[in-house]
Amino acid sequence: MVESDFEKDKENTPGEVLYADYKNVKIFEKHKNNLPNLKIYLSDFWRRKVFSLELARFSDKAEYLGSKLGKSWLVLNPLLLALVYFLLVLVIRGGGTKEAGLETLAKILIGLFTFYFAQNCINDGAQSITSGGKLILNQSFPLTLLPLSSMIKSLWQYIPTIPVYFIVIFIGRLFIPDANIILLSKSLIATPYVLICLFIISFGLSLIFATINVYFRDTGKLLTYITRIWLYATPVLWSSDILKGWHKLIVDLNPLGSVISSVTSIWVDGKLPTSENLLAMSLWAVFLLIIGGYIFISRERDFAVRL
Amino acid sequence: MPYDYKKIPANLAISVQDLSIEYKVNVENKVTLKNLLIRSTKGERTKTKDVKALQKISFDINHGSVVGIIGANGAGKSSLMRSIAGILPPSDGRVIVNGKVSTLLALGVGFNQALSGRDNIILGGLAAGLSRSEIEEKMEEIINFAALPEGFIDLPVRTYSSGMYSRVAFSVSTALNPDILLLDEALSTGDAVFKEKSFNKMRELCKSARTIVIVSHGLSTIEALCNEVIWLEKGKIIKKGSPEIVVKEYLEYLKIGKLPTSLEDF
Repeated sequence: MVESDFEKDKENTPGEVLYADYKNVKIFEKHKNNLPNLKIYLSDFWRRKVFSLELARFSDKAEYLGSKLGKSWLVLNPLLLALVYFLLVLVIRGGGTKEAGLETLAKILIGLFTFYFAQNCINDGAQSITSGGKLILNQSFPLTLLPLSSMIKSLWQYIPTIPVYFIVIFIGRLFIPDANIILLSKSLIATPYVLICLFIISFGLSLIFATINVYFRDTGKLLTYITRIWLYATPVLWSSDILKGWHKLIVDLNPLGSVISSVTSIWVDGKLPTSENLLAMSLWAVFLLIIGGYIFISRERDFAVRL
Repeated sequence: MPYDYKKIPANLAISVQDLSIEYKVNVENKVTLKNLLIRSTKGERTKTKDVKALQKISFDINHGSVVGIIGANGAGKSSLMRSIAGILPPSDGRVIVNGKVSTLLALGVGFNQALSGRDNIILGGLAAGLSRSEIEEKMEEIINFAALPEGFIDLPVRTYSSGMYSRVAFSVSTALNPDILLLDEALSTGDAVFKEKSFNKMRELCKSARTIVIVSHGLSTIEALCNEVIWLEKGKIIKKGSPEIVVKEYLEYLKIGKLPTSLEDF
């Protein structure tokens, strides 16, 4: 299936048979798992970006229709989970000062909220193709829009958790003023870059898992274990500076390691991310976007057959 | 075979050239990693069956024509429609489509049950590549054409009857101003009034040189609307031509003659 563009054939000789406008012509041919014409694909994708946005908004709306309490679980769920993990860490560590306690809570909260975004994005994105079956069979459109929509939906669920973090820590500091938490600092300027890397990494991974899920429908089950192990391998419940020697690789080899450790360093320690972390997250973002995009886009024309 | 892409006449809407569609279906219920692991330890392979949906079929459709596709269940009608829409990739051959395509390939497809009709119209339009403002412009027209009972357009689609469903779906697909409209069994659940209304709409589209391809088991629909009929059987074209001739032969093939029951639209 090749959607050829007719850039070279723009000129129709006048006086002869009228030929079709190349822009309107689509040609579908046999394909081997290679990429389609990316120029056409991406312009199609860009033209329908609003669809992703609205699909995210509508599916969010449909999920929580008539349930105001339902939506508050989006914040309550990670918040309560954070408290559980906080207790766990506290017990393992055998207590400690109040100040150290609040610092740990801060790290777990923001780390978990951020990790939750990636987890939601990947889980939801992985299901987006198989659950979008009817839409896919009725219309032809770039299917990458569906995982993108999952990412936007997860983003909307992530955004309200950030003020929650600030409120919890702000209140905590009223009682424990000596805790070493710097919420607002100059290093906040690094936030947009870190978050963009987070979005791209999560999107790239969701493309990979969405593709696998089309071929193996139990990928979702496997994903629950993968994400759990992944959480423990990410500096959420521990901080990355406790790792010595080659163990430091755990943070770098983990696609989210550098992002989460940068988020904590910005919002808890008030420090800029280390250049090592910035490099690692940039490389991961580029790598996963290319790999995820290639795997997904080169296979997506087969998805309709397998749904 | 090299193809001269420059020579696509402007009045050609769809050209299907030696199109074959084959795919494997899994005989077992679900392909899972678990089953894969179990099978690989036993050294077995996944059981699949090759389905030849279409076998080397060719035809051209010019702009301004209404083409009906008839045939028994499993003849390859829906596969053909999906490959013209660019949803199913050809296993061999080529499909050339000249113009903007709008599809209505199965009833209720693409609808989110929990959302209102209005929300679904917006989503459907956006998926088809329209902008938000273009949809807002056409919203009234779509809602008026669908003519649902008072207030239903803002209720969740799950509260709709199947007729109301098809009214909305049909209104959306025709309001998109397509050059080529693909309809798969879209008219089967509408009542007589809506059917007449949609016939008129399609005739109107044809007058402005649009092209319509209809799959239907309602042979009187086909005879009333189409100026050409393609009869598919087991993935091959049996006959192509004017509705009177092809429909008659199709009925003879079915060995039931021109009985009123088979002419009735369901």
